[in-house]
Amino acid sequence: MTVKKLSYIAAVLIVTLSACQKEPSTSDLNRDFLVYTAYDTEVNFENFATYFLPDSILIIGNKNQAEYWSDNVAQEIIATVATGLDAAGYTRSYDKEAADLGIQLSYVRRVTYFVGYNNPYWWWYYPYYWAPDYWGDWTGWHYPYEVYYGYTAGSLLTEMIDLETDQAGGRKLPVIWNSYIGGLLTSSTDLNLERTIAAMQQAFAQSPYLNTAE
Amino acid sequence: MKTIKTIRIFLLGVLFSTAAGSAKAQLFPDSYINIDWQINVPLGNSFADNTSGWGMNFEGGYFVMPSLAVGPFISFHTNLEKIPRQTLDLGNGKALTTNQKHAVFQLPFGATARYCWLTDSVFQPYAGMKLGACYAELSSYYYIVKQYTDTWGFYMSPEIGVSIFPKPSYRMGLHVALYYSYATNNGSVLNYSVNNLNNFGIRIGVSF
Repeated sequence: MTVKKLSYIAAVLIVTLSACQKEPSTSDLNRDFLVYTAYDTEVNFENFATYFLPDSILIIGNKNQAEYWSDNVAQEIIATVATGLDAAGYTRSYDKEAADLGIQLSYVRRVTYFVGYNNPYWWWYYPYYWAPDYWGDWTGWHYPYEVYYGYTAGSLLTEMIDLETDQAGGRKLPVIWNSYIGGLLTSSTDLNLERTIAAMQQAFAQSPYLNTAE
Repeated sequence: MKTIKTIRIFLLGVLFSTAAGSAKAQLFPDSYINIDWQINVPLGNSFADNTSGWGMNFEGGYFVMPSLAVGPFISFHTNLEKIPRQTLDLGNGKALTTNQKHAVFQLPFGATARYCWLTDSVFQPYAGMKLGACYAELSSYYYIVKQYTDTWGFYMSPEIGVSIFPKPSYRMGLHVALYYSYATNNGSVLNYSVNNLNNFGIRIGVSF
């Protein structure tokens, strides 16, 4: 048997045996939530004092127009966010134009892409579901840092935007902190809410830089 | 897993039937073949520490001297570890809280040499050494994600064992071995780093 044939046999054996890798069962990984947070390290969060938090959560689903979630369950989630920000020293403002920070919450019920759909216009900003001019006269918005999450069903996205950014000169609205919470799609509404609240509290716990000087 | 089991049964069946059919001194003259199931115990590895039996070893050798054989080997093994929920600082302002499952898959291959004693008896002890390359995949499974890195390193593994031939003239019997292995694979996944792979383990199988 030639060296060439032996090499072929060895290569086939290596490829074949590499397929024998034992993959762990991942079904039990769904029994817990995931929390990913990131922020713009150039930002000093002590420079902000107030925040505006809408009373609804945007649903990212299969409808071709904006759909908002504002029942009692949504209010519990929103209240958890408010509690986290209050504990960090920020003050809730009910005047959007006067607030330093804007908080936008989006729940991914179903991943659906509306490519090219322009009515209502905010789909133009995909994947930026919250329209920039919800907050003011900005031309767009952006993440000034790297983000590593994908949209999957059963996820809650929280984005903190800097409303002190100059609106003149075509400036874009920057997201300065975000959290991605996954694993919220069980068959139990109560469990989903329990997980969502625990995960949101964790998002603030792992973001100790969110605090104000006051 | 079912496929792997089927392959194992098929290979053992082919080899047993071939050996039994020949009913001669050796399947291949002046040589040996071992097919083993192995239990692998990671040492000093903080990535996937659990002992497991998800692995096999295949090797063969030609007796260049009455007591000294050399030949090729290849083996594979997977070790796993369940990681409870924890918060990882990923750097640059990023943090991740999740539970995980870690896996280390090792696939060393190369050359092996063994020195045998009592080559005409029922119990034929030996001491051997394997040298070669080691491919290892370090994986973290979390949420719906598998994050992994591929690594390569130099591999060495001293081994002692015994081949048991109830009828030495047929050279069809059992094989038991203890091994230690060291590989220079380095890699990182999330904020976990692996520097070198150390293992010891047991091989149990058939010998021809």
